[in-house]
Amino acid sequence: MADLLHLAWTFLWLSFIAVGGGLGVLPEMQRQVVGRYGWVTAREFVDGYTLSQLTPGPNMLVAIFVGYRAHGLVGALVAGVAAFLPTSLLTAVVAGRWERLRGRPWALAAERALAPVGIGLMGAGVYTLARSAVHDWVTAALAAAATVALAARWLPPVAVVLVGGLVGWLVGL
Amino acid sequence: MAWVPLRLLIRVFAWTGLTALGGGRSAYFYDAVVVRRPWVKTSEFVQDLTLSQLLPGPNFANLAVALGSRLGGWRGGVGALLAVLVPGALVLLGLTALYFRGGFAPGTTRLMHGMGATVVGLVLVATAQLVAGSVRGRAATAVAVTTFLAVGPLGVNSALAVALVLPVSLWFNRPRRR
Repeated sequence: MADLLHLAWTFLWLSFIAVGGGLGVLPEMQRQVVGRYGWVTAREFVDGYTLSQLTPGPNMLVAIFVGYRAHGLVGALVAGVAAFLPTSLLTAVVAGRWERLRGRPWALAAERALAPVGIGLMGAGVYTLARSAVHDWVTAALAAAATVALAARWLPPVAVVLVGGLVGWLVGL
Repeated sequence: MAWVPLRLLIRVFAWTGLTALGGGRSAYFYDAVVVRRPWVKTSEFVQDLTLSQLLPGPNFANLAVALGSRLGGWRGGVGALLAVLVPGALVLLGLTALYFRGGFAPGTTRLMHGMGATVVGLVLVATAQLVAGSVRGRAATAVAVTTFLAVGPLGVNSALAVALVLPVSLWFNRPRRR
């Protein structure tokens, strides 16, 4: 029971520092769920994030993957609710008043101030993911090829990820 | 603006949530509620998009709630959130159960490792595309780089890093009297 509360609390506060989206919170999520609580291994965490990229909806759904590993269906539900409900309620409350608030000088200041923080967090998310997923020349080449293919818009993202999986399977990563 | 019937709203948002794969997911919403249906004006969409990025939490869920609330009040917000989350959550739950019970076919580990490596490229490109629009000037660059170094290579707790860097960033961007 105590661990379930830890699970709920962890995803609750993680969702509140997710400035700029789910990727930005990835480093801290890994530190908490792999390093601190050991709910999943580093390898499982990367696999969970990859699965969340392949399924529809926000990548923060990785909370369900971690919650399931820690406490089965109840854990998945608890982690999912903690990751989405409180911040969604905040959005609903603010959205109704935003028309009035956005004209204030501090609202624009907050918008400008948060943007670079969000980018920094996202960059750290890329770094965390790369450290776990890129471990030899094949995975490095795959990451580089995916970057080029996506930047040049040769293929849609899902196709690139599936091709990467096929290559990994063929070369026996 | 007339409110959209709840069932129709849920159907459109669920379909948008199911088909929005890969990067740039907010573009799918733009297509669904601005381009294909005259439900929201572009200016209103941009306003909700900004809000969803400004507030903490997953942007995609925040945007669904903001648009849903605009189109159908609090019921619309709840309906929109469930519509974009539940289908994906169920698919992921099924895959997760399969993954941990060893239900994936032999060789799937190799497949996952390959996909994991390409996801690095995916998130790198998505982040790089946002840098140009979000990081302008030396102060913003310093804030972004400091946050990156602290949370990434240096391993500082993200909440602590944000608590230290955000006031500095707010100071740089404080409203100035003319």
